[in-house]
Amino acid sequence: MPSYQSQLGGEGEIAEELAASQRSISIAEFFEKNKHMLGFDSGARALVTAVKEGVDNSLDACEEAGILPDIYVEIQEERDYYRVIIEDNGPGITKEQIPKIFGKLLYGSRFHKREQNRGQQGIGISAAVLYSQLTSGKPARITSRTQANDEAEYFEVIVDTDENEPEISVEETTTWERPHGTRIELEMEANMRARQQLQDYVKHTAVVNPHARIELREPSAEFKFERATDQLPAETEEIRPHPHGVELGTLIKMAEATDSYSISGFLQEEFTRVGSKTADGIIDQFMDRHAGRELTWRFPEAHEDADLEAAVEDAVANKGAEATAEFAERVAEALAEHDRVARHQVVAAVGEAADGIQADYGTTFGSTVREKAVAAAWGAITATREPDSYTLVDAATTTRKDDAVIQALAERLAAKFEPGDRHRVTREQLREYVDRAADMTEERDDATFGDTARENVVSELWDAALRVPDDPPRIHDVAEDRDMASNLLTAMRETDIISPPTGCLAPITAELVEAGLRKEYDADFYAASTRDAAVHGGDPFIVEAGIAYGGDVDADGKAEVLRFANRVPLVYQRGACATTDVVKGINWRNYGLDQPGGSGIPNGPAVVMVHVASTNVPFTSESKDAVANIPEIEKEIELAIREAARELKSFLNKRRSMQQRREKQDKLATILPEMAQKLSAVAGREPLEIDDTMARIMNDVLVTREREDGTVRVVVENNADTNADLEITEIVDAEPADADGANVVEMDGEWFLKWSPTVGSDEEATLEYAVDGDADPQLSVDGIEDEKLTIDT
Amino acid sequence: MSTDDTTDASTETPDARDQLLDLAAQFYDQFADGDVPHMAVPTRTKSNIEYDPDSKVWVYGDRTSTRSAKSVRGAQKLLKATYTIEFLARQLEEDRSSTLRELYYLSESWDLDEAQFSSQDESNQLVEDLEIVSGATREDFHMRPEESGATIMGPLLLREQTRRGEREIHCQEDVGEGGYQIPNNPDTIEFLDNDADFVLAVETGGMRDRLVENGFDEEYNALVVHLKGQPARATRRLTKRLHDELDLPVTVFTDGDPWSYRIYGSVAYGSIKSAHLSEYLATPEADFIGIRPEDIVEYDLPTDPLSDSDVNALESELDDPRFQTDFWEEQIELQLDIEKKSEQQSLAARGLDFVTDTYLPERLDKMGVL
Repeated sequence: MPSYQSQLGGEGEIAEELAASQRSISIAEFFEKNKHMLGFDSGARALVTAVKEGVDNSLDACEEAGILPDIYVEIQEERDYYRVIIEDNGPGITKEQIPKIFGKLLYGSRFHKREQNRGQQGIGISAAVLYSQLTSGKPARITSRTQANDEAEYFEVIVDTDENEPEISVEETTTWERPHGTRIELEMEANMRARQQLQDYVKHTAVVNPHARIELREPSAEFKFERATDQLPAETEEIRPHPHGVELGTLIKMAEATDSYSISGFLQEEFTRVGSKTADGIIDQFMDRHAGRELTWRFPEAHEDADLEAAVEDAVANKGAEATAEFAERVAEALAEHDRVARHQVVAAVGEAADGIQADYGTTFGSTVREKAVAAAWGAITATREPDSYTLVDAATTTRKDDAVIQALAERLAAKFEPGDRHRVTREQLREYVDRAADMTEERDDATFGDTARENVVSELWDAALRVPDDPPRIHDVAEDRDMASNLLTAMRETDIISPPTGCLAPITAELVEAGLRKEYDADFYAASTRDAAVHGGDPFIVEAGIAYGGDVDADGKAEVLRFANRVPLVYQRGACATTDVVKGINWRNYGLDQPGGSGIPNGPAVVMVHVASTNVPFTSESKDAVANIPEIEKEIELAIREAARELKSFLNKRRSMQQRREKQDKLATILPEMAQKLSAVAGREPLEIDDTMARIMNDVLVTREREDGTVRVVVENNADTNADLEITEIVDAEPADADGANVVEMDGEWFLKWSPTVGSDEEATLEYAVDGDADPQLSVDGIEDEKLTIDT
Repeated sequence: MSTDDTTDASTETPDARDQLLDLAAQFYDQFADGDVPHMAVPTRTKSNIEYDPDSKVWVYGDRTSTRSAKSVRGAQKLLKATYTIEFLARQLEEDRSSTLRELYYLSESWDLDEAQFSSQDESNQLVEDLEIVSGATREDFHMRPEESGATIMGPLLLREQTRRGEREIHCQEDVGEGGYQIPNNPDTIEFLDNDADFVLAVETGGMRDRLVENGFDEEYNALVVHLKGQPARATRRLTKRLHDELDLPVTVFTDGDPWSYRIYGSVAYGSIKSAHLSEYLATPEADFIGIRPEDIVEYDLPTDPLSDSDVNALESELDDPRFQTDFWEEQIELQLDIEKKSEQQSLAARGLDFVTDTYLPERLDKMGVL
């Protein structure tokens, strides 16, 4: 990329001297000097980044090929260096591609795609190779085998930093036990100080990729993260750009390259979510900016001085009295149909009337006559524009404004429009007119016209203006005219267009977010939410959140916040991330978590997970560590977290009330039996059975069984304030009869009688069946918490 | 004067123990039926007492509070009640007695922490609950308060049934200056003879001593009963018996402040806390001597200004159904008006004999007692 500075006048020699030392820089060289931008700023971090790049690539490759990922990561100590090995069971890479993928920066398949992928730029893994060769002097060793091949390809590659091309030192075939997959070995200067981050990265990757099996072997430890689902993420599809997400340069390039002839065709062809209706909408907006609108004036009423018909009649000479009168009448009649008339409507009316008269009377109405007629009619219509202007201005301003001031403004405004002109304006021009008139009025009439009042007047007039019937320009003309292109871009942005399709995104789904958390955290409670897709800058995105609470989650200190973008854990720069900001901004006390000071990361045994999936996640830097603070994304993150947090709240509330219930029950369970015992002693009567009383006190559902001869009655008494939806099963070892309303299933000599009664608050239901007197039924009740159930059979 | 020996409702009903056991049985049955054990007692607030025109005393109205095992608090109350019933039943069986305070301390020995009383108010209240629900009295349970030390002085001969045998005592001749001490259960007393014309119940010890020193009881044949502040049940019971059995008019002489009016109120109308025993304790015919707010004005007595709590107490008395008579409304409003109160002993400002020579004779004369 040559970059010569233009010469300054008269200073040619210096400039030439300078030019002699100027040369282009290879991209590889650039990154050699700017390792930190890619996350290789320290030995500790380099190790994490190398693993991350390798694993991300492996996951992408496997998913694209529809293979459940099986990834092996190993860190070996090699004298002064560390060796990083990443191996996958992906589809493998063809012989021709291997050197380029690993030995050339910015080589990739995804940069131009609008599709959710982990990697995008094609920098990551080759940057790791580059870092490895710079610090250890050793090439990257790559083994890859595709399904079709019996043998694997083995390469030793470095990046030629001058040319940004791969330099191959060894190329051979070898045998490999894997049927397909890729293995890369990098030796690099590094240290294990970021061990925690490395483990976090792998663990968190396992959380958001429950379909992957990942193994991490360190010199002194080994971790295995098993697969939680066999369901691969939904395949993503590439989408065309969304009209809200392109920039001017891109739009012009697209307009130049398109095969379409019209703007409408171009829009429908090149963009997603644009049909003919949306295209028309955009074109209307575009035409308002490009050609402007024509201001309309009220059609003069009969009693008013301006007699349109007479004026038109006067303007036409030598066409015969009858034809002229008829012509004028037709023009007047056609225009009288409109309340307000724009100039193009006059032209159309005159044209139509002239054609009609021509046909009926045989008199030719040439263009001169027509123009004169148009001028006369337009003159008559615009003659009353001052009172008309007053009406509009008056309607747009508040009643508090002085009438004389409004009159003055209306007059000045009307004066901006010459009687003979087309009165065609863009909104901007209109605003200019209003501004000038208002400024003048302020100056002369000692009145004030604020911004709101001015804008109201503009709106009133703009609404009274009509879109011109001109044909829109061709798309190639737009491509050549920067102003037109800019108008088109504005029109695209201002038009409401439905969000881009989400087929290009592969959210984890709430279900699997929960499964992922469940897999890696042994908690009491899990919740997850997936938002609908939203759009930021034309790129659709989906935010998902998950919460794990209680159990073995570390209860000391702050909750753990897991951040993910396109299924990649974000390990560094926590404080700079929009996700962290949102978590801190939520009032967690509302959701039952402890949050000192009412803001910040909450305390307690909680894990909060946020995943942002997008065709283009906006990161704060190239090293992709933190999501940028984009309001649309922050809002969705917040909503996603709140959705999951609401479930947490009801869980915690329920747990609290269950806790209180248990405490009450415990307390009563010491008091009441003691009381009962005392009572039996004092009254000198037999010991008391108090289960039923307890059930009543605890507002429990009490299930009792009565037997009488061959009849069994199961009585369900609901002492709670709410309905109870129960599933009651009696397991009987003899064949029952007359089971009323029960579903009876026989299995291995046992009969399962199943009822699903709904018992209202303070109501009782009796389930009856007949069975042999010796039978020993077993009762089980589902659909209610154990704390709220008392079975007394 | 005749001696009357009737001891109808006053004597210990032999079945107090059975009544307690009935209550226990009631709880037992509630358990046995799978019901939630509960007991309803009248709400003991001033909004729930009403005048009973038959007995002319104030008794509890229809509102009740339920002690139910549905809540932990209620269950605890019932547990304590059960323990207390057991204790009282055994006490009655063994014919022993104990004080309210002893009951409170005794609960410390009950094996379940939940059964123990947290304050004496709680145990006192529970005993009152049991009285109400069983229909027996505390005395029937052989429960007594701490010695109140209230005394009586005057021309009365009585026989007391003590645990150490019968004693015949004349309340002037056989006693020292302190007078005859009223026992906890005055129903063990039998009136033998008397020369009394009326009963004079006095609030403060200082005034009682003044009356005795001045020989008021001898001069006017008065039975001077020392109330000792808010009178104990025994004092009220004895006063009622003096009125009912000996047909003596009863007069009450207190300080001139709202708290003292309540002392009169509990003698005459019954107290809110023991309204279930009003019929047994209250002397509706008792008359108020003073100090009336009117006296403060009339005799120009030395005064203290009313405190805020005095004013509140007076206003609360205006709402109290027991004080809704013309006399009290007039007096209380007058006092609120002059914003002053006086003690009995402020009469000494006119000389030590003023109360016995002038004030009491004048007032008693006006009241038609003398």
